[in-house]
Formats: sequence, structure tokens, C-alpha cells
Amino acid sequence: MTARTVGVGIGADQLDTTDMVLNIGPQHPSTHGVLRLRLVLDGERIVSAEPIVGYMHRGAEKLFEVRDYRQIVMLANRHDWLSAFANELGVVLAVERMLGMEVPQRAVWARTLLAELNRVLNHLMFLGSYPLELGAITPIFHAFREREEIQAVMEEISGGRMHFMFNRVGGLKEDLPAGWIGRVRHAVATVRTRLSGLDDLVSGNEIFRARTRGVGVLTPALVAAYGVSGPIARASGVDFDLRRDEPYLAYGELADVLRVVTREEGDCLARFECLLEQVHVSLDLADACCDRLDELPQGPVNLRLPKVLKAPEGHTYAWTENPLGLNGYYLVSRGEKTPWRLKLRSASYNNVQVLTELLPGCLIADMVAILGSLFFVVGDIDK
Amino acid sequence: MKGLAKGLAVTLKTLTKRSVTQSYPEVLPELPPRSRGVIALFEENCTVCMLCARECPDWCIYIDSHKEVVPAREPGARDRTRNVLDRFAIDYALCMYCGICVEVCPFDALFWSPEFEYATDDILELTHEKDKLREWMWTVPPPPALDEHAEDPKELIQARKAVEKAEKAAAAARAAAAKAEENP
Amino acid sequence: MDLTPAPVERTPVDLPPPRLGVLSRLAPDPVRLVLNWGRRYSLWVFNFGLACCAIEFIASSMAKHDFIRLGVIPFAPGPRQADLMVVSGTVSDKMAPAIKRLYEQMPEPKYVISFGSCANCGGPYWDSYCVTKGVDQIVPVDVYVPGCPPRPEALLQGILKLQERIAVENPAARYARKLPAAALGRPLVAPPTPPAGDAR
Repeated sequence: MTARTVGVGIGADQLDTTDMVLNIGPQHPSTHGVLRLRLVLDGERIVSAEPIVGYMHRGAEKLFEVRDYRQIVMLANRHDWLSAFANELGVVLAVERMLGMEVPQRAVWARTLLAELNRVLNHLMFLGSYPLELGAITPIFHAFREREEIQAVMEEISGGRMHFMFNRVGGLKEDLPAGWIGRVRHAVATVRTRLSGLDDLVSGNEIFRARTRGVGVLTPALVAAYGVSGPIARASGVDFDLRRDEPYLAYGELADVLRVVTREEGDCLARFECLLEQVHVSLDLADACCDRLDELPQGPVNLRLPKVLKAPEGHTYAWTENPLGLNGYYLVSRGEKTPWRLKLRSASYNNVQVLTELLPGCLIADMVAILGSLFFVVGDIDK
Repeated sequence: MKGLAKGLAVTLKTLTKRSVTQSYPEVLPELPPRSRGVIALFEENCTVCMLCARECPDWCIYIDSHKEVVPAREPGARDRTRNVLDRFAIDYALCMYCGICVEVCPFDALFWSPEFEYATDDILELTHEKDKLREWMWTVPPPPALDEHAEDPKELIQARKAVEKAEKAAAAARAAAAKAEENP
Repeated sequence: MDLTPAPVERTPVDLPPPRLGVLSRLAPDPVRLVLNWGRRYSLWVFNFGLACCAIEFIASSMAKHDFIRLGVIPFAPGPRQADLMVVSGTVSDKMAPAIKRLYEQMPEPKYVISFGSCANCGGPYWDSYCVTKGVDQIVPVDVYVPGCPPRPEALLQGILKLQERIAVENPAARYARKLPAAALGRPLVAPPTPPAGDAR
């Protein structure tokens, strides 16, 4: 730390300044959620930054240990509240693998469809909120109008607008309602046509580009060092996507539709563009799933389960490509009806840690731009 | 400047479209039948098996009951006991709307209703007792029709199986009869 | 490198409790009505967005539900300019002091809506070791909105409920409340009386 020097005469001594500690958050309009950042500033420049996590810690992992597998699903979809369906998926995939269970084909395709719709929901939120943090209010209204379209179809099938609670071990809770696939197609088409509006509003805007281009450049080395994943890693040129590299659900058969969006720049603009492009890919994937669901023969969407579901003794690790990055569940079972331990690897936790490297050297005005572009959900950080 | 103009063009285009706002208190939203708003209780179906209360991850269902002796109908037969529901309450302040109780109910006594207008200024009022839960029953919509690729309902499959079985049995009987006729 | 300055000894100052001026008794009823009417339709809201419910709060401020129609203005720059605090989401024990502090910064008359199961009484995290079981343990709550998360329309209904309350509000009655928020407002819930003859 620079010592406080008291100058006596006229000279450089007097101009010496001490560093200032600035707390951003935990409740701050520019952060979504309650992340607290402790910044050390030298004038306008950030000397060091430390994200202080734990304001949203709810002890979910401990609670998993006293709930049976169906109850866990409902708790698991709450840690990353923007991608509830994708979170549920990790749990049920892990349990199904432990049980050696083969899920009916229609359930697999319906799950893929819902997971992609969920990805669109998640990305739309950030596509709206990121410009808002940079001072553009309009895009979020467009983003939420689109979100409502998709939430309507999601609510029709699952009954929930955000927490779908639609996965069960061995399939889905209920079958699709009649005519639902047609409505999904309609919603997907509507969102696709309107997305160009969002694109016009934001990414062509000079002010937006000036504030994001070249700001907060994340190098592939840092990505590897901190375990950053998801669209943020891909924006830095790290071409890794579990949907392609280790296909789960029906992604293996969707390889010709699935494009992994990457950028080389690694700055805020690249991260935003990655997200926007991914929405297009997800919408295409959703359409492909709809086509496939129409062709599949009649069949069930879930398996009959025993009254008391017990995973056999052992352990497994299931990971999925969540909208925000890698989401992993390490499940250790001792043969009880509750897991012995269910460790959760959440994407946002790793993604936020990289702030300690990204922020130093930046101006405080760029802090918001960088923070917003890391696309995190606080519940996903603190669990 | 070009980007700004493009953005303003989008705004202008949206300006000419109809607004998407739903004026809620005057116009009620149209909710899908599966929407999880409030849980209704069909009291007559409840056998006080306590499955819902035990499976609830929140333990927000309160059930009190007592046993009643039903005297035997015929002399010499044993008296039967029957569970009578005294109290069935759901604490909606605690409920997390997961629907596990509705799912596990073996006698179809619990249903989802899409109603949502029960915010209150007293938290105790959020614990809905039996009568209130029975009232919600009037708002329960019929379940939606299922997709054409969905598996047939259990009853249909069972009936089909029974028919097949009967046909097989009849065919076997016919074959046996024919055999008996051939070589008496 | 420790940058935290040495702690300064501060003696806590007792803030004077909010009270009404002597002349308030002389204010005629129409004035009260006008005041209530004004308060009712200009609720500057301060969103204490903590978790999932915050997203639904944002959704209800957006084009489809648009609670500005009801006079709820979500542009309060901070708690000092707000009339209504919406606590939406899980209140963790680490966050609770901040909520209390921000609530105290709000000027009277102030209202609180507890939005969602977590804020009502812990919700899904009822058995967690680090979650405050209900925001009403730290600040007085005016309206509870049930749901996990509640639909945007449910928030609108909660706001309507609050507005009804404000319409008939009497400031004298409001400030007569002497109890701190954490004190019990009513006796504890009694256990059910066992039926006669129950030999447990």
C-alpha cells in the first residue's frame, strides 16, 4: 500500500495520493443481484478488485442431502434462476446414469427442445440487461416482450413461468399438450423475426460499440486458468461446447444444426455478439427438435418409477452445457433415497472469479461494462 | 450516426404497432390449465393417507384427522374404522409451488388451479384452511388434451390388453373345441 | 495489504421515533383523503431484488404488465427517494443487515411488499442454515404476495391491495405503533388441542 505522505514544500510529494477503497454493492443498481465488489482505486483506475461472494448463499448443497431425488429437482432449478430447466437436467441425468436408466425417446427430444427454449430465455435476459447497464433503456423492453412469448409456451407445458419443475428421473412430468408444438414454432418464429430489431437497436449503435470494443479483453490463457466456460469462454476463442464435444440428450443427432459460436477478440462486444448469435442457433435447434417430435412414433415420455427411488451406491459426475457455462453435478450415493453428497459446479462462480484479473488497470467507468458482460447469476455464484 | 438512426427506426416501427400491455385489474390474463397458481382440495376424495404432507419438501401441509368406528353392517362382522379429516391446511407463504403433493396424491384429491389473486396483508391468512381450499376447487380447469404422439391413457391400454387377452383365450378355446371335434 | 481503516469508536445514536405534529389532529378529513390519494398513486418503488423473484419483478415493470399504469414508479435512485420497498427473493443472514439499513434510510411513510415465498418465510430454504426465515423478522411488511416466484399479475394485485390500504390509512394510527419490527405482533401459534380421550 502506498503510504500517506504529507508534503511540506512544493514538489511531487504533495501530489501523492493514497489509494481509495470502493465498495460496489451488495445492492447496487448496476449489478444484477447482490454481488459485492471491493475495488482499490488509484484515482480513476482500478488497482485491484475482489469479488466478495456469499450474500446469496443459501446452502443448497447441504439441503440436497436431506431431500429425495424428486425434491432435489425442485431445489436445483432455483440456484441459477434464469436457466431452471437446464439445472434440473443435470440432476436427473446424474441420477439416471447411476440407475442405468434409458429414457424414452420422446422425452429426450422434448427435453432438448425445452433446454434450448430455456437457453433463449436466459440469453434474452442478458441481451436486455447488458445494454441497460450501459445506459440504453429500450432494448430490455424488447427482450422482455420476447421472453414473455417463450414463457407463455413454457408455462403451457410445465405450469411455471420460471421454475418449470418439469423434469423427473426417467423422463418428464407429463406429456405435451395437444397443439403445443405448433405454438412453440409460432413463438420461435416470432422471436426470430423480432431479434433483428434488438440487433439493430444495440449492436449497430456507435455508443455501445465504443464502450465495449477492446474493453476487458479476456485471453484464452486466463480462460483456462480460471475455468471460465460458456459463451464468455467462446468469445475468447476457446472452442468448447459440451453439446458438440460430449453430446448428451439428443445433441448428437443435431450436429448439423448446432453451430458453436466463437469469437476471437475476447472483449465485451465479442461476448455480447456471442450471446446474440447463440440465440439464433438455439432457435434453429428448437425448430429442429419440433420437427423431430412431430415425426417420432407414439410413445411415453416417462418411465414408471419404484415407490421409493434409491440410487445405488457409487458416484457419478454429470455435466451439461448450461446457458451460462458448464454446470456439473457430482453425485455420491450410499444407496439411500437421498444423496450422500451432491456437489454443484456452477458456471457463474468460476466466471466471476476472473474479475480479479480483468478489472485491474481498467477505468471505473469500464467496470460496469466488464461486470455486465460476464453474464452471471448471483444465485449461481453463491448456490 | 448510422447505428443511432437504425435504432430509432426500430423504435419508430414499434411505435406504430399495437401495445402489448395487458391491463390487468380490468382484463384478467388467460392462463393455461397447467398453470400452478393455487392448490385446490377435493375434500371428498381425501383419505388422510398423509402422502402429500410427507412428500412436501417444505412441510407446508397440515393435516389433522381422527378415526371413527363404522359399526358392522351384518351381525358377526368386524367393526371397521375410517379416517375423518379434521383439518387440511396449506401454508402458501411457505409453499414453493412444486406440485409434488398433487403428483403423489393417489386418490386425486389435490388439483392445481391457475388462480393467483390471494395476496394479503396478514401472513396468517396465507394459510388456507379446508374450506378455502375447497372453494378453489371451483376454479380448477379441465386438463388439456394431450399431443397426438402421446401414449394412450392407462385405462385404454389396460382395456386393450384385456380385449387381447380375451380374444386369445377365445381363440384357444375354439382351437381346443375344434381339436376335440376332430378326434373324439 | 490491509486497506481497511482502523475502526472508529462510534456511539450509537437513538433516532427519534417518527411522530406527527400537534396540528395533525386539526387537519380535516378531506386533507387526509387528498394526501392518501397522492401517496397511493405515486409509489416510488425501490426494488430489493435478491433472487428469482427479482426477475418477475422486472417482468412486471416491462411492457406486458407495466405497473407504471398503477402509479408505481421503478426509477427511485435509492432508498432515500423511495416510498415502497419490494423485497423480492431469498434474504440470507448475510444480507439481512443491509436490508434493515436500507429500510431505515427510507423516508416515512414507507411501505414494504414481501414478494415470494422466500421473503415471506424462507420458502424452499426453510431448513437452510443461512437464510432468514422471512423478511418480516427484520422490517415490518405491509403486503405478502404468495408464489414461488409469483406471477407478475400477482404483484400487481399485491400493489392494488396496498393501495387500498393506503386509501383508508390514518397516519395517527400508523405511527401509534411502538413495537419494533422484530417484536412479536401477535401471540405464538398455539398447538392444536388434542381431542378428548387422546392418551398421548
